[in-house]
Amino acid sequence: MTASPAPKAILEVRDLVIKFSLRGRLLSAVRGASLSLSEGETLAIVGESGSGKSVLTKSFIGMLDQNGRVDAGNILFEGADLATFRREEDWLPIRGKKIAMVFQDPMTSLNPLLTVGRQIREVIELHRGLVGKKAEIATVEMLDRVGIIDPEARADQYPHEYSGGMRQRAVIAMAMACRPRVLICDEPTTALDVTIQAQILGLIKALQRDFGFTTIYITHDLGVVANVADKVAVMYAGKIVEIGTTEDIFYDARHPYTWALLSSLPQLGVKGRPLYSISGTPPNLFKEIKGDAFAPRNPRALKIDFEREPPMFEVSPTHRAATWLLDPRAPRVDPPESIRAMRESLRGEII
Amino acid sequence: MFGYAVKRLLQSLFTLFIVVSLVFLLMRLLPVEGYFGDRFQKMSVGEVQASLRKMGLLDPWYLQLGRFYAGVARGDLGVSFIYRRDVPITKIIAPRIPYSAGFGLVAIAIAMTAGLAMGVGMARNKGKLQDRAGTVYIVFVNAVPLAVYLLFVQLYGSSLLHLPILFDKYNIASWILPAVSMSLNGIAFYAMWIRRYMVDELNKDYIKLARAKGLPNRTVMVRHVMRNAYVPMAQYLPAAILATIGGSIYIESLYSIPGMGGLLVDVIQRQDNAMVQALVLIFSSVGIVGLFLGDLLMALLDPRIKLAKGGGAR
Amino acid sequence: MKLPDMKASAAAADAGIDRALFEFAGFDAEAGERGGYSNYSYWRSTLRMFLANKVAVFFLTLLGTLLLFTFIQPLLPGQRSPTTIFNDPATGMQYRNLAPSGRFWFGTNSIGQDLWSRIWSGTRTSLLIGLSVGLAEMLIGIVFGAVWGYVRRLDRVMTEVYNVMDNIPTTVLLMLLAYIMKPGFRTMVLAMCAVGWLGLARFVRNQIVIIRDREYNLASRCLGTPARRIVTRNILPYLVSVIMLQTALSIPGTIGWEVFLTYIGLGLPVSIPSLGNLVNEGRMIMMAPELRYQLLFPTVVLSLITISFYVLGNAFSDASDPRNHV
Repeated sequence: MTASPAPKAILEVRDLVIKFSLRGRLLSAVRGASLSLSEGETLAIVGESGSGKSVLTKSFIGMLDQNGRVDAGNILFEGADLATFRREEDWLPIRGKKIAMVFQDPMTSLNPLLTVGRQIREVIELHRGLVGKKAEIATVEMLDRVGIIDPEARADQYPHEYSGGMRQRAVIAMAMACRPRVLICDEPTTALDVTIQAQILGLIKALQRDFGFTTIYITHDLGVVANVADKVAVMYAGKIVEIGTTEDIFYDARHPYTWALLSSLPQLGVKGRPLYSISGTPPNLFKEIKGDAFAPRNPRALKIDFEREPPMFEVSPTHRAATWLLDPRAPRVDPPESIRAMRESLRGEII
Repeated sequence: MFGYAVKRLLQSLFTLFIVVSLVFLLMRLLPVEGYFGDRFQKMSVGEVQASLRKMGLLDPWYLQLGRFYAGVARGDLGVSFIYRRDVPITKIIAPRIPYSAGFGLVAIAIAMTAGLAMGVGMARNKGKLQDRAGTVYIVFVNAVPLAVYLLFVQLYGSSLLHLPILFDKYNIASWILPAVSMSLNGIAFYAMWIRRYMVDELNKDYIKLARAKGLPNRTVMVRHVMRNAYVPMAQYLPAAILATIGGSIYIESLYSIPGMGGLLVDVIQRQDNAMVQALVLIFSSVGIVGLFLGDLLMALLDPRIKLAKGGGAR
Repeated sequence: MKLPDMKASAAAADAGIDRALFEFAGFDAEAGERGGYSNYSYWRSTLRMFLANKVAVFFLTLLGTLLLFTFIQPLLPGQRSPTTIFNDPATGMQYRNLAPSGRFWFGTNSIGQDLWSRIWSGTRTSLLIGLSVGLAEMLIGIVFGAVWGYVRRLDRVMTEVYNVMDNIPTTVLLMLLAYIMKPGFRTMVLAMCAVGWLGLARFVRNQIVIIRDREYNLASRCLGTPARRIVTRNILPYLVSVIMLQTALSIPGTIGWEVFLTYIGLGLPVSIPSLGNLVNEGRMIMMAPELRYQLLFPTVVLSLITISFYVLGNAFSDASDPRNHV
């Protein structure tokens, strides 16, 4: 993938700042995030809850909660800057049509009082302009496409008659119904059984191959990341602290937070030793953050981490990380033992 | 659906049976003056006993209850003792039913249309002026006793709007104040609940997904939020019927409407036991039927209920 | 792969940064914890939420003042007895229907009693009924609700009892009960409790059943938390808000019922001033515009009290709901 000629960028985010006002106080949920996505690529955004990963992607379809707004930065998509969109009419041609979203919990994502078919048809009628019989046929086709058996009969059923995995398939059918260019999957498998998880990921992969859309996964499951992503962005306290190809992140992580995150993978635990966990709590985003947000929880923090915010250092053309450790003046710090051990054990294996 | 309806019907019949028996037995606890009226002062103990025996009131309670049910089966609720002596109660009540039913239904219709419209408007403008004004109305109607604010509706409604202060069936203008009075509480009730349900719905995941699908806000509101919020509203229809009955008793009496509610106040003041019993039973039955219909409506609207076990407490 | 423009790079970032800063800072585990949101206290948050609600604070002050005044009013100098009939010494006639004046602040009623002292005396009576009923309902409701929720065998029976009572319009049930018993203070309290406790019991029962089986309580139990701690820490805070709300709402409700029962002739005897009696007396003469003050004064006092209780109950219930604490 690194060898192929650079494909055209489809979505580009520059220095995006998103703020929420809560009880008269301002909370910075996203504090200057930048990333770029090429056509057909799969990006995974990882981070703890509250790191701003959901908020960031919600801003791509203008679905921030009412008290939230894009404060600065750009979201460039198909020649338009989505960050400047304010009115509902601006979003309608994008939302659901060009950029679609699949939410975490399929049990609550479908309207319990409408048949599944009706809810899919709604999108087809809206975005593809089909009506009547044609819309119905397209609906059944879509259900068939996502692997629902006996789609004609299933279309007339209500969500409570579907299992969890089937509901998620229906939600995916809905998202795919108008052939979006970008699909955002917000923890699409967290609420599902492990066996179903793999099926759903496989389904999204297969659809992506056929339709060639770009996928953004939001997840805190590094297993999912390793399985599906071409590129990974690690978020912490509203910032992208490290971004690179999946290989970059898994084999050559540079940011102490990425190390900590990887170290807490259960698969990396050594038998007989307690599983690693990141100590402390994420910072309060109501407060102004000075320096590197992760510094107070980082056992190897430098003095400068508390003083100045680290810039993005380029590790390789595909890999960047925001940590002072990459500054030439910084002392040499090796990744923790567990990370090195992982590199050894993963070497030669395909993630 | 059919199975559910039958089950629910049986449950209602059982409740009706319990209520009727209970009320009947409670009425037996009353002092016996209520069977004689003014004559009671002049009668000797022996005469009273003889009369009571003749009326069957000294028989064991189960015989009395059995006789009462037999009577009800023939459409006989007994005779009035004081209000209109020895006239069959059904004859007294029958001409009054259209007034009570008419006012009740009109009031519920007004309450529903105005209340739902108001609540939907409040939810869509949450936090804005319309929402605040509506909230003040709801707080006022809920907090100030009905028995108090309706007096002012009657007083100032008649003096400021020049509407008749008492009911007159030949003057349509005189129907306005009682009908409006009866619906004021219901309007607040419906507005409050539909607003709450809509606000709840707005935070549901499937509403977010509907918006993420690109549906315009209007469509999301109408097709998803409002539709879903209306369904649980069906369960409040019976409660609204019960509340309307409660209100109608007071309002019919205030405006001298010749309905059953005003009659109940009359016969309580005149201590006519048999009439009180009959009217309480009628009002309770209306309540039970109302709850039954509300549950059926709910089952029709919500596809999930058909699968549910049904029954149980509400 | 193309990456976004990033102005900062290793070369540009440095100028003017002290080299000494590139040293390890040392790790303070506590500082790491401090970053979060952990200084949460349930009751402090409840109080803060409540005080942040300006309307609630206004009504709290109003109600506090009203209640205080109601109860110290008879102790103040120059107050008249609420039941004495005042006569004009010159003519020996009663001071009937005197308009409000410096002498009789709220005027007199149709038999020459002082409306000002009658209103406060009536407020005392009605509040006494309201508080008795509210407290009794709370006690009965909680006890029955808890038993109903915990003892599974009783569930069917209690549910049936509830269904039966819930099917009868409250007004009709209340009238029936008040009619069967002899009119008076005790009857009134008993009848109102009888129709009111069930709602709260039902509420408590539902909450207990729902909360008892919530995952976090199961988890808590699995971790060996004693039942007492689960009840006080996990269940009680949830119930406090609804119980306070129900109790606070039962007071305006009770006052309303009292007015209604008085209207249909099942209230307190006219010799005892109560808000119900006063409103009823005022109603009978309300068609005479110059006598309307006799309806207006009692209803204004009554409405201030009921609105305050209603608003306060709701405000407290909102404030004590942990979901509203951020």
